[in-house]
Amino acid sequence: MRSKKTLLAVGFFLLLSVMSLIGSEANTPPTAEVKITPELKEKFPMKPHHEKLAFKCTDCHEGQGDDPENFKAIDDKGCLSCHKTKQFLADRLKFMDALHTNPHNSIHDGPKLYCDECHFEHKKSDNMCLSCHSNDVKLWMKATP
Amino acid sequence: MSKETMSRRDALKMGALGTVGMAMLSASNAMAAAPTEKDVKFDEEYDVIVIGTGFAGLAAAAKSAERGYKVLILEKMGRVGGNSVINGGGMAVPNSTWQKKYGIEDSGELFIADCLKAGLGINHVELLETIVKRSQDALDFSIKCGAKWQDVKPAWFGGHSVPRSLVTDNMSGSGVIKPMHEFVEKLPGCKIMTRVKMDDFVMSADGSSVVGVTARINYRFDPKLLSDDIENKSGEKKVYKAKKGVVLASGGFSMDKVYRKIQDPRLVEDMDATNHDGATAGALLKAFQIGALPVHIDWIQQGPWASPDERGFGVAPLLTQQGLFKFGLAVDIKNGKRFMNEMADRKTRADAEYVILRKDPKSYPVAIGTYNTFEEQIYPIIEKGLSGGVMKKFDTLDALAANYKIPADALKATVKKYNEDVKNGVEDEFKKQTLKGESLKELKGGDPIDMKGPFYGIRLVPKPHHTMGGLHINTKAQVISGNTNKPIPGLYAAGEVTGGTHGASRLGTVAVTDCLTFGMIAGENI
Repeated sequence: MRSKKTLLAVGFFLLLSVMSLIGSEANTPPTAEVKITPELKEKFPMKPHHEKLAFKCTDCHEGQGDDPENFKAIDDKGCLSCHKTKQFLADRLKFMDALHTNPHNSIHDGPKLYCDECHFEHKKSDNMCLSCHSNDVKLWMKATP
Repeated sequence: MSKETMSRRDALKMGALGTVGMAMLSASNAMAAAPTEKDVKFDEEYDVIVIGTGFAGLAAAAKSAERGYKVLILEKMGRVGGNSVINGGGMAVPNSTWQKKYGIEDSGELFIADCLKAGLGINHVELLETIVKRSQDALDFSIKCGAKWQDVKPAWFGGHSVPRSLVTDNMSGSGVIKPMHEFVEKLPGCKIMTRVKMDDFVMSADGSSVVGVTARINYRFDPKLLSDDIENKSGEKKVYKAKKGVVLASGGFSMDKVYRKIQDPRLVEDMDATNHDGATAGALLKAFQIGALPVHIDWIQQGPWASPDERGFGVAPLLTQQGLFKFGLAVDIKNGKRFMNEMADRKTRADAEYVILRKDPKSYPVAIGTYNTFEEQIYPIIEKGLSGGVMKKFDTLDALAANYKIPADALKATVKKYNEDVKNGVEDEFKKQTLKGESLKELKGGDPIDMKGPFYGIRLVPKPHHTMGGLHINTKAQVISGNTNKPIPGLYAAGEVTGGTHGASRLGTVAVTDCLTFGMIAGENI
C-alpha cells in the first residue's frame, strides 16, 4: 500500500518535473555558450583561483543571455552561492579577530559589507580598509584576492 | 538685398534661435524644481522616510519606529553608518549620570560657555540648550538600542572645562551604529536600503510641504568622479511616499570636492579629508532648492593635526595631539622656525599651516618631539605610527633636518631657544600655555625637547573634518523655510547636515551628542 502510494507520488512528481521542463524550454530559449576568445579574456580577465576552476561566463552570469557586453555584475547572492555565508567567511578568518584586523568581521562593519565593496572579479580588487588605514593594511593582510 | 546681407541675417536668425534653445534647455536643467505629488506615481508608501544611516538617521528611525511608524531608511553608500562608523565613539554629555557617578561637577551653563568659546560666539544657543536638556535622554536611548559605553571616568577632551565625554566600548562610533542598526531592523515595518540615492524631495500639490522622495535603487557611488551628485547616473528610479514626513540626516560635505572649495577655496579638489568618500552636499543642496535656510555654510572645521603621509584620519591626530604638540614643536621646513602655538584651537593652527602651504603646496610643516613629549596612553600607538611610516624616528636633529630638508642650523637654534625659554621661565613667542605653570609638572626629564634624542617627526597638513554649517532647524528638528520663516511641513533634519549648533568651530565629541540628540528629537516630533 505504502510503496504504491510512494510510487504514485514519485511518478506524479516526475511528470510535473517533465512538464515544468517543457514549460521552461518554451519560455526561455537555451542560451548559447559564450565562446571565450583571447580578446574576451583580455577584456574581462578572471581571478586565477576562478580561472583554475575553468568557469564559464554563465556559471556566474546566470540567465543574463550570451552577450558578455550586456552582462550585469552579480550581487552578494551570486558570490555566496559558492562561498556560503558572510558569517562563514568571517569565521574562516577568526584568527585575525585577536588583533581586530579581520576584514570580514571588522570593528566598524561586522560581517555585513557587500562583497564588491572590496572584491572585483574582472578588475583589480580594492581593499576598503585602505581608505582610512592606508599604512596599516599591508601589515594586517595580503593583497585582496 | 545682397546675398551677403541675406546670409548674415540668416546666420543671425539661426544664432538667435540657437541661443534661445540653449537658454531654454539650460533653464530646464538649472531650474529643475522638486516634483509635486501630481507629477509622480508612488512605488511604495511609508510613514517616515529617513535619509542617511549615521547616528542622527538611525536615532530618528529607531525613535519613530518605536512609536509604531512604518519607516524606510535610505543609504546611498553600500556601507551603513557613514562617518559615524569610522569616528572615535566619543560623546560629550553635560550633567551626565556618568559624571555624577565619578564625582565630576558640571553644569549646562558651563557646557554652553565652552561651546560658545570655541564657536566664536555665533552658535545658536537654543540648540545648545536643547542638547543640555536632552543629551542624557539620547545617551539612555542609545543604551536601550544596545550601545555599550565604557564604565570609566569620563574623558577630558580639548576645549571642555571638565571631563564629560563617554567613549563606546570598542572606541568607535560603530559601538552605537551596529546595535542601533540591528534594533531598527528588528522593529516591524522598518526597512534599511543601501546603495539607494535620494534624488529629490516630492512636494505637496501646492508646493508647500514635503510628502516623499524620489530615489535610485542599485545606485553605486563613484569616488573617482569630481561630483558624484551631478555626474553619477547609475541606478533605477523609484518614488517613495512619506505620510508623516522626511528626516534628512545625510551628513556633512567634507568630501564634496566642488562644494567645499566654493565655501573655502583653500580646499583644493585632490585634498584628502578625515571623512568617508560619500560625505557630499547633494541632499543639502536639494533642501536649499525647496526653500530651506542655510546657516554658517563656510565654517568648515579642519584638523591641523593630520598628516599627508596617510589617508583619512589615521594615527597622526593621536600622535600629534597626545604627543608632539604638547611639549614638542612644529616648524616651517623652509626656515626651521616655529610658526604657530601648537596647542591653539583647530582653526588658528589650520590657518597657520595654510599660510605656509599656500606659498608651496608640498612644503608640509613638521611636528617634532622626543620621548618625553608623548602621553603614556599613546605609547602603544607610537609603534603603529613608525611601522606605517607616518612618524619617523631619528638619532640626531641633523638626521631629522636632512630627511625633511630643513636648514639644520636654523632648526637647532629654534630648539635651543624653545628649551631655554622654558628653563628661564620666559613666555614663548606664541604664548603656549603648556610651557608654563601647572602643566610643566607633567614634563619628564629636563627640557621639552630632550637633546639626547631620539627625535620623532610627523609632517602636517590640515584635513577637512566637520562642516559646521547646514540647514537651519528649530529645537524640534524642523527645517525652517526662507520663504515663510516657518517650518517646512514634513521636513526634519538632524546631525551634520544641520548648522548653527557648533558656531564657527565644534568641540571634540559634541558631534555624536548633536546627532543622537536631534535625531531622537526628530523621531519624537515627526
